[in-house]
Amino acid sequence: MITLSNVTKRYSNGTIGVSDINLHIDKGEFAFIVGPSGSGKSTLLKLMLKEEEATQGEVIINGYILSQLKRNQVPYLRRSLGNVFQDFRLLPNKTVYENVAFAMQVTEALPKEIRRRVPTALALVGISKKANAFPNQLSGGEQQRVALARALVNNPPLLMADEPTGNLDPETSWEIMTLLCDINNRGTTVIVTTHEKSIVDAMKRRVIAIEKGVIVRDEQKGQYEHEDKNSTICT
Amino acid sequence: MKIRTVRYVLKQGVINTYRNKLMTLASVSTVAASLLIFGIFLILVINLNSNMKLLTDQPEMEIFLRAEIKDDQATKIEEIIKKDASIASYTKVSKDEALEKAMKIMGDNAKLLEGEDSGFMPISFIVKLKDSLKSDVVAQEYKKLPEVDDVTYYMEIINLVAKLNGWMRVIAMVILAVLLAVSTFIISNTIKLTVFARRKEINIMKYIGATDWFIRWPFVVEGLLIGLFGALIAFALVSYGYNSLEARFNQDLISIGNSMLRALSLNDFGFKVLGIYVVVGILVGVSGSAISMRKYLRV
Repeated sequence: MITLSNVTKRYSNGTIGVSDINLHIDKGEFAFIVGPSGSGKSTLLKLMLKEEEATQGEVIINGYILSQLKRNQVPYLRRSLGNVFQDFRLLPNKTVYENVAFAMQVTEALPKEIRRRVPTALALVGISKKANAFPNQLSGGEQQRVALARALVNNPPLLMADEPTGNLDPETSWEIMTLLCDINNRGTTVIVTTHEKSIVDAMKRRVIAIEKGVIVRDEQKGQYEHEDKNSTICT
Repeated sequence: MKIRTVRYVLKQGVINTYRNKLMTLASVSTVAASLLIFGIFLILVINLNSNMKLLTDQPEMEIFLRAEIKDDQATKIEEIIKKDASIASYTKVSKDEALEKAMKIMGDNAKLLEGEDSGFMPISFIVKLKDSLKSDVVAQEYKKLPEVDDVTYYMEIINLVAKLNGWMRVIAMVILAVLLAVSTFIISNTIKLTVFARRKEINIMKYIGATDWFIRWPFVVEGLLIGLFGALIAFALVSYGYNSLEARFNQDLISIGNSMLRALSLNDFGFKVLGIYVVVGILVGVSGSAISMRKYLRV
């Protein structure tokens, strides 16, 4: 599903984004990518979206070998990935329904198909009632649900969420994470970057920790911080 | 591209044009203003060119007989001209032909002469001299003849005009080209603003996996509409302004006794200007938006 081999990203100003990353994520997995700000989490996701080009190494996503992908093929890679962002990135002048439908229009889907699948996606994230609202009329949590519906409507095999709860209150964060978990249980591979320690610890999923551009830890059923560190915290 | 995508693109283009009213307004007025200036100069050049042509089409020298002189009497003068060594060639203008010419010069007012008998028009001879410098002498000679009413010649004007005409054309072309370039720049800059205002939207589309053309086409449609509206507005202004000026201008020309120069009627070149407007407006609008959004597609 996702394979990164010896991937290094050096920015033109000399900053190292990530260095010599080896990572493999299987179909159906749920993986957290954790690490402090500036550790290279975002660089990693950008590389997977081919928003940035790897300086060295090879990134393979859903069978696309990114270094060989031509510019005009990038949209097709992105359609095979559902994307969710910290700042939601909804189109402000489109309604909730239109925002989700747009992701299908982009793929030149049949209108019949759009009318069938958009309500399903909205129902899945529990936002059906607000279908005709505009993004600025919704709360942050609701907006993120819409973004999730948009990411899912094309049934992508892989969902990538970049700090999806970064702008949300703890309770709403839990709701969104639960939703992501549901989505994973339906067979979609999910990758989430996050700072939410409590959620990561509670969910006991694969945790990939990055520091200074290097993977420092990769554990199944892991925790946000290393167990040693964890044990020092007063309970 | 599938038909439903074409439909989507057209619809989206129109909706965007409407939803971004303020920017649309700004762009349309910029297009209209630029084309207006461009058009005023263009019309000036068209008029200048046509009048130059009128001038150079004038005979080198024209000998007018008195109106009461009939064809049989005119042959006497024709014999004299034929034998004249200083004359290279000549053509006779009959009374009917003279009437026709008069109607042509009068343009829109030609109706006044319709159905008139050509009897009151003078016969004339259009004469080309072997040596243009002798035109004064020759003219004086013919003026002495009792049958001759008047002799007109535009030798000096013709020479001057012929020389100027070439230069005028070059200068006109340069100025038109500069105006066009400036208009294109201003218009594409304004459109750049509208694109800039929506760079986030473009960015989001890119992340969802829209192809560049899927994003670009609605903007192209928008640019096309902006260019078209701008062109139509500019044309409406120009044609209204020109129509109200043209009649007055021509009246003034006639009142100072000028029968040769005249401002063209809008009908003579209106379609040309409209065509140029629409083509330039659309080209500039489309290329302006296509070029200015290129930067934001690189994500």
